Amino acid sequence: MNCYEHTLITPGNTSENQNQKIFDKYRDIIVKNSGKVIKTEEWGLRNLAHKIKNNKKGFYFHIKLEGNGKTIEELERAENIDESLIRFLTVKVKKHDLKTNFFDKEEGYKNFGKK
Amino acid sequence: MKRSKKSNTKRRNGRKYSKLNLFQKPGIKFFRSCPLSGKAAPIVDYKNIKLLKKYTYESGGMLPSRVTSVSQKKQRELAKAVKRARLIALI
Repeated sequence: MNCYEHTLITPGNTSENQNQKIFDKYRDIIVKNSGKVIKTEEWGLRNLAHKIKNNKKGFYFHIKLEGNGKTIEELERAENIDESLIRFLTVKVKKHDLKTNFFDKEEGYKNFGKK
Repeated sequence: MKRSKKSNTKRRNGRKYSKLNLFQKPGIKFFRSCPLSGKAAPIVDYKNIKLLKKYTYESGGMLPSRVTSVSQKKQRELAKAVKRARLIALI
């Protein structure tokens, strides 16, 4: 089993219900394809640093998961077709860092500069 | 053995000055240790936006390591982190 970090961005004008549906959909895909969701984070609505597909704002989801290559393959295949997503990113990591959360307003400030 | 020891001491003397000294000999190089190595160093990660902004220009390019004195290994990690952060529009 490998460790992965996955980030999803949906357009800023999608409703909360819709966002939750999209998020649950991909969580199911992970679980179905022999994956395991370890931690989920909501970074919330953020201003994008540059325009993506004519969107200025985006809603960020972050998933820390365990799985194999096929899990990611299936996940990204579904995301490539999906038009309700702006962008996604998968990063392979050696070990999950569950302590630090850079996007929590109070914690993120504390964590900056510490190991 | 003796020779190698001598050369070591010479090198150390040359790298001794980490601050600007009024009476320093000409031709001595400054040495600043890498701010991202060591025990208390911050985590280099694509989510750590505050750190990445420190090591990039406002326009988005990377600052050269000769300015920031980041070690080669950490500079490579930084470059990768910046590229990832750019992809999901964090910086």
